[in-house]
Amino acid sequence: MREGVTIAGAGALCACGLTAKEMLKGALNGRACFALPGNRVKSAYADRFPVFQVSESVIASCPIGQSLSSYFFLTAAKEAFAQAGLTPEKLQNKRVGVIVGTSVDASFHCFDLYHHFKQRAVKEEDVQELKKYFATSATAKTISAYFGFTGPFQTIVTACASGTDAIGLAKDWIKNDICDAVLCGGTDEINLVPYDGFIRLLIAGKNRCKPFSKDREGINIGEGAAAMLLLNRVLTEEFAISPVGYVLGYGNACDGYHPTAPDPAAKGLQKAISFALKEAAVAPSQIAFINAHATASPANDLAESVAFNALLKDVPVWGSKGVTGHTLGAAGAIEAVLSLQALNEKILPPTIGFSVQDEKIGFSPTTIPSTVTKRVALSDSLAFGGCNSVIVLGSEDFYA
Amino acid sequence: MRDLFITGSSFLLGDIEMGAFEPYIEAKKLRRMEKIAKNVLWCAFSACQQASVNFQKENELGLSLAVGAGSLESTLRFLDSIIDDGDELSSPTAFAGSVHNSTALTLSLFLHSHGPCVTTGQLDGSFAAALLTAQQFLTNGMCEQVLVAVTDDINPVAAELVPQSPDLWKGLVRPGQFQRAAAAFVLSNTPRTNCLKVKQLSFTRTDVQDKSLPDSFSSPAFCAIHVAQQCAAGKDFRVRDVFAGTDFKLEASVYAFEK
Repeated sequence: MREGVTIAGAGALCACGLTAKEMLKGALNGRACFALPGNRVKSAYADRFPVFQVSESVIASCPIGQSLSSYFFLTAAKEAFAQAGLTPEKLQNKRVGVIVGTSVDASFHCFDLYHHFKQRAVKEEDVQELKKYFATSATAKTISAYFGFTGPFQTIVTACASGTDAIGLAKDWIKNDICDAVLCGGTDEINLVPYDGFIRLLIAGKNRCKPFSKDREGINIGEGAAAMLLLNRVLTEEFAISPVGYVLGYGNACDGYHPTAPDPAAKGLQKAISFALKEAAVAPSQIAFINAHATASPANDLAESVAFNALLKDVPVWGSKGVTGHTLGAAGAIEAVLSLQALNEKILPPTIGFSVQDEKIGFSPTTIPSTVTKRVALSDSLAFGGCNSVIVLGSEDFYA
Repeated sequence: MRDLFITGSSFLLGDIEMGAFEPYIEAKKLRRMEKIAKNVLWCAFSACQQASVNFQKENELGLSLAVGAGSLESTLRFLDSIIDDGDELSSPTAFAGSVHNSTALTLSLFLHSHGPCVTTGQLDGSFAAALLTAQQFLTNGMCEQVLVAVTDDINPVAAELVPQSPDLWKGLVRPGQFQRAAAAFVLSNTPRTNCLKVKQLSFTRTDVQDKSLPDSFSSPAFCAIHVAQQCAAGKDFRVRDVFAGTDFKLEASVYAFEK
């Protein structure tokens, strides 16, 4: 059996919970903060297209000068450290890397600043906003500096696959001895640009999303973050860590097909799944469930079903965006942490929002909670630009 | 870690002329493409040709793209459309182009590549992290060759505001940031004639600005351009770039096949 990379701790927050445990609870009972964005997004659409939001109390507590995305990630990272029973200080003389997937945080989405610039009416606060952009938009560096780490850092912007890529590459940094420890995951926040953008691309839905359902109408954007602390074998033993799980495999392949739509034949996704399973040395029969990207857009869910039907037939499929929303650059990481939590609590949640089977898809995702008896989960992400990313995770008792 | 070789490289300062694409592709296929994508696509064609990558056919070339701030041209066009026309008439095409990863799609479409693909966007530290990613793709056997592509756009807001009070931006924004530039490299675990072998690739975060070092490159892509210039010279080289918390070292030497 091949050796997976230790997950020492994991943390997350999004619309359905402010910790990984709470999030799984939300995924089981379907409760989440799903509402119109209100004043947070000044768009003419703000009274029609709801979003999945992190609770107002968390947003209000974000320190001035820090981006909301960084704040979300730091919150998740602290939970990961606490679960590992470690502090960042204990890792100070080690090679600690940071990889964070995001979209909004690394983009120049400074609407007010740009609007004032166009009007030739730049104010002092606009200059401060620009300074903040340059100081914080390399998200992984911001996180690394906050904890005082000195290893490599990488902010991944492979659109909606960023969070999955972050965990996959973090596994590689450990496996290939670039680092002793890597803090990895994804983070994103609700912002006018993706909010209007997805609506204008006719991908956004006005009702709560319905992953894999025949009557699915599109995505609801969301926000949040998830973090995992990965350690090499030496540190796992030195700190007597009881792993909460393992990253077993990572695969990635691009479609080269279309700017915003997935390849309907899902060739890239199939290749990414095959590579991840091969690296993990895991057979489809060993997989407890797939946490699908399942955005509830007609094209995405159909493309995913092609790959699952070809390679992972009869493996239960769970879509969690009916409680998290589509958290863009954070999505893959949030779904990885949710999957790990489900594996370890041995319960597979229903796909909230699903109602009617689509004959073109050919299967129904999970509809009721069920007991998990296997120790492996697969999570996939599909991104704008045709990038497909897959990770294979093992539970805490994977090697038992 | 397996041996790493640079088998092709190319660079561009400023914007590419459409005529330069003639050996590779019909210019009409590039209509409506963002400048940063066109620039890096030309570099990619040139580097791939040098490395004998057959990009006219479907292939498994990996892509590791580094963007400074992504396509600001499309991002600002989308913001313009919201401001000038309102949310309900904002441009979906500009939004799609504003996504960092859209440039990766351009590369994969025109290079016919279906290998692994990751985009890195962190201003000054993008190129170094993209090289690390390429190294991981190759070490893990995800592909046999990787294109590391680097492209930078101009931020017109910063280009106007920063020079007005340069001291305010010291250590945060490089003085020559406001120019489009691109570079591309083909990396492989297998050597070929006229290639360079990477002897050191190191990338860390630092709180210390080493005063003894010459001033770092004037923009993130300029560091990549400097590396590409060294590759073109066909000599051993050592590059170090320290700026805004990033410490990057790359050392390579001309590879000679044993007779």
